[in-house]
Amino acid sequence: MNEHTNEPHWLKALKACLPLMISYLPIGIAAGILLKTGGFAIWMIVLVSLFVFSGGAQFLIASSIMTGTPVFTITLLLFFLELRYALLGTSLSKYLKNESKPFIFRFSFSMNDENYAVNYLKFSTDKKWSATDALMVEYFSLLSWTVGNIIGGLLGTKITIDLPIVHFALTAMFLYMVTMQLKRRILFVPVVISVVVSVLTVVMFKSTLGLIVATLVSATAGYFLERYLKANYSDSAMLKRIKNPRAREMEQLSEAEN
Amino acid sequence: MDAETKRHLMIVFFGMVAALIPRYFPMLFFTTRKVPTWFNEWMNYMPVALFTSLIAKDLFVDHSYHMTFTNYNMYLAALIVVIFAYYTRSMFLSVMVGLLSVWGFALLLAAM
Repeated sequence: MNEHTNEPHWLKALKACLPLMISYLPIGIAAGILLKTGGFAIWMIVLVSLFVFSGGAQFLIASSIMTGTPVFTITLLLFFLELRYALLGTSLSKYLKNESKPFIFRFSFSMNDENYAVNYLKFSTDKKWSATDALMVEYFSLLSWTVGNIIGGLLGTKITIDLPIVHFALTAMFLYMVTMQLKRRILFVPVVISVVVSVLTVVMFKSTLGLIVATLVSATAGYFLERYLKANYSDSAMLKRIKNPRAREMEQLSEAEN
Repeated sequence: MDAETKRHLMIVFFGMVAALIPRYFPMLFFTTRKVPTWFNEWMNYMPVALFTSLIAKDLFVDHSYHMTFTNYNMYLAALIVVIFAYYTRSMFLSVMVGLLSVWGFALLLAAM
């Protein structure tokens, strides 16, 4: 990662956000197609993309309007679907301590899993990454998402999209994020626990609430294991760092973390 | 305004509120307060835990919330993405390789 001190904020944010923007286009198109098929007008698709801005929520809305689910039920389902955003906001909060309340409002309004992932990585690896940059990442991703939805809405039923394949763009992005985060061996523990617990609880609750359970359980397990090892076996192999093939470039980054 | 448009507007409005509550209030709470060190240490585990749970859901749970272990094209593609991510450290490359391989493996497995 090169240092471009005089790079304008928007360009820095655009560069960080570009892979996400490209991934969002096909998925946005798929969401737009489904919403249009469900009976949403184009301007309604624009509204929902701007104000709800969540892939999962928009797919849920599309399938709910097709089946004529009551508005109250949809709202409740959406609330439980989106509850995990509480975790995103909580974990980013340490980087946004000095921001005003209106800024926090604007920032949280357009935050979702994907732009959080981009911003968390930037905050934790780039000392110069600012709240303004992060907000711009959100707006760039919002732009690409909305454009994708509009294209999908205009295409309507003229085209079919293989949703599981397109959706894998996001899965791949999260796989990338986990790989980047795995800097210490001990982090494999929450990873394994999270896989098992999330599959079991998501299936059990028949809802993404299971994701919250899995996240809390596995993060807590990791935290306590680290405390236990540090107190009792401070030279444990589990506490070692993981080799990074690009360590040199990353050196400055890990410094930023400490 | 006809009844359907009204209903759609209500869905969008309530959807916005439902998404905003968990987005805004925890963030407001934790940015305006002093949090103890243990809390931040605990939070360090949050991203890995959350991303992994999202991945596990995508790979092993289908749309009707049943466990599935037959998305072979996704498992192969996921492996390739992790290897690519580890060595290249490029999100763009990883996503593109992931998309190409999930699609390629789907075709390949369908032909077998």
